[in-house]
Amino acid sequence: MSLLKVSNLVSYIGLFTILHGVDMEIKQGEAVAILGRNGAGKTTFLRSVMGLVKTRSGSMVFDGNPLVGKPPHKVSRMGIGYCPEDYGVFDHLTIEENLNLAVHKKNAATAERMDYILDLFPDLKKAHKRNAHTLSGGQRQMLSVGRSLVNDPKIILIDEPSKGLAPVVIEKMALALKEISKKSTILLVEQNFHMATIVTDRYYIIDEGRTVHTGMMKDLENDKELQQQHLGL
Amino acid sequence: MGGEKIMKNYISGLSTIEKIEKLLLLAVFVVLVVVPHVSGTATITMVSRIMIFAVYAMAYDILRGYIGVIHLGFALFIGGGAYFVGIMISQFGVSLPVLLMAVVGTAIYSAIWALIVGRISGKSGLLATAMITMAFAEIMRSLMTVWRTVTQGEDGLTFRVPSPFDNRMFMFYASLAFMILMAFVLYKFTKSPTGRVWQAVRENEQRAIFLGYDTNRARTIALLVASIVGGLAGVMFGLLNRFVNTDLLGMQMTYNAMLYSLLGGSGTLFGAILGSGVVVLFQNLLLDLRGVHFIFERWLLFFGGLYIVVVMFMPRGIMGFYYDWKEKMAYKKRVKDGEKV
Repeated sequence: MSLLKVSNLVSYIGLFTILHGVDMEIKQGEAVAILGRNGAGKTTFLRSVMGLVKTRSGSMVFDGNPLVGKPPHKVSRMGIGYCPEDYGVFDHLTIEENLNLAVHKKNAATAERMDYILDLFPDLKKAHKRNAHTLSGGQRQMLSVGRSLVNDPKIILIDEPSKGLAPVVIEKMALALKEISKKSTILLVEQNFHMATIVTDRYYIIDEGRTVHTGMMKDLENDKELQQQHLGL
Repeated sequence: MGGEKIMKNYISGLSTIEKIEKLLLLAVFVVLVVVPHVSGTATITMVSRIMIFAVYAMAYDILRGYIGVIHLGFALFIGGGAYFVGIMISQFGVSLPVLLMAVVGTAIYSAIWALIVGRISGKSGLLATAMITMAFAEIMRSLMTVWRTVTQGEDGLTFRVPSPFDNRMFMFYASLAFMILMAFVLYKFTKSPTGRVWQAVRENEQRAIFLGYDTNRARTIALLVASIVGGLAGVMFGLLNRFVNTDLLGMQMTYNAMLYSLLGGSGTLFGAILGSGVVVLFQNLLLDLRGVHFIFERWLLFFGGLYIVVVMFMPRGIMGFYYDWKEKMAYKKRVKDGEKV
């Protein structure tokens, strides 16, 4: 059964239609990449799922419930974690406070997940009393991903986690995401093809606001022509 | 474990700065308890006024400093509370039950305004909210001006207050208890999960939304808390002055709340207490100096100067400056102790 099913989604910002028909189906436990050139509509797609961008037509069903028209905070409460492109951390709060802020219900399971997050990202554990504005780009990304895990979401939407990071940090982040994918469903928007191949098993390619291709990541890795055609690699 | 041992452990666990802080707080408390016994009525009334204004400014700080709402009609609450007391007592008689009704009425009146403003801020954005709230206070002021038969219009309403609130000494301690209680309640709010969401909304509303928080609800709760506390400060102010006029609903009263909280340190809560103390004391000092030179009659001139100096050298206000200094000291200590920072 699909966890997230999107059919013919059309979304707009102001006067401009950005998505012209996106179709996607994600099953529980999958790690799926959304690939595509700059301006293809990948970020807008994630924002549409979160309810941050308005939808003109089409449907989005998450875990059997419709998403279209739901306010973003309700979408989040349905079990969708979101790591935006700009990390979305609160600069004047410490790492600990940023993580605590995300907690919807404090219980033993939350405490366990906090330990899991801090084990996953030892950098956060070391600096947990530091304000987020003093962190490096990589640490902020770790905090963003870690925070999205706090409420044990059914799916995590991650927008370009490699953006602006040094290659060694990207590698570290990719391994952490691979680890997370063993427990959680991941939908990853990524320009860095190498990272996408490490983390995900399946992909969708979006171009000019439409889903134009889908398949297994292994096949795409070996298909240079397709990479050239859609990703310009 | 005996009480003495607990106390010893508690004190030994504090840093030097924390010990000085606690001692200072204790000293201020002792001074406040002693003040009415060693000073005249004027001083007692002035300090009572500072304490009531401190509550009013702390309530304003919840909006401006914690959730980031600029309420340009905050005088609605101090004026509203004072008018409620004045009108109820002058219409229904000088008694404690009437006073209690005025308190309940003020809370309901403040809550209604909070819900209206909360609804507007959710729909129209913060700038529009600022302008609309200013209009609300002006509407209320005009209403109180034209409702002459009850409010005496611009002349203001003089009224008696029920015993024991007619005693200056009692009023002083009531104001002190009111300030401590409200500071405690508001502090608890700011440290609660709700308070943390307020700060998240202030920093970046959209980020708070995708963490699953209904920011309109969070803002409405903040408005409810701030408005009701502001209204109760109005009740106390009415009881202290035994007089209310339309100036209490004017822009100047909102500016005062802003000034107290900015000067003391926006977003620090207790800074508002310090801010109102500094402003009112300074204002009184300048007024006392009128006899020395006529320039002191223009006390606002000096006030402007003080404000510019604080904004230039302490952009986060007095408490903000102090907290920054404390953080710097703690950092230096960590470096000195060889901790990796």
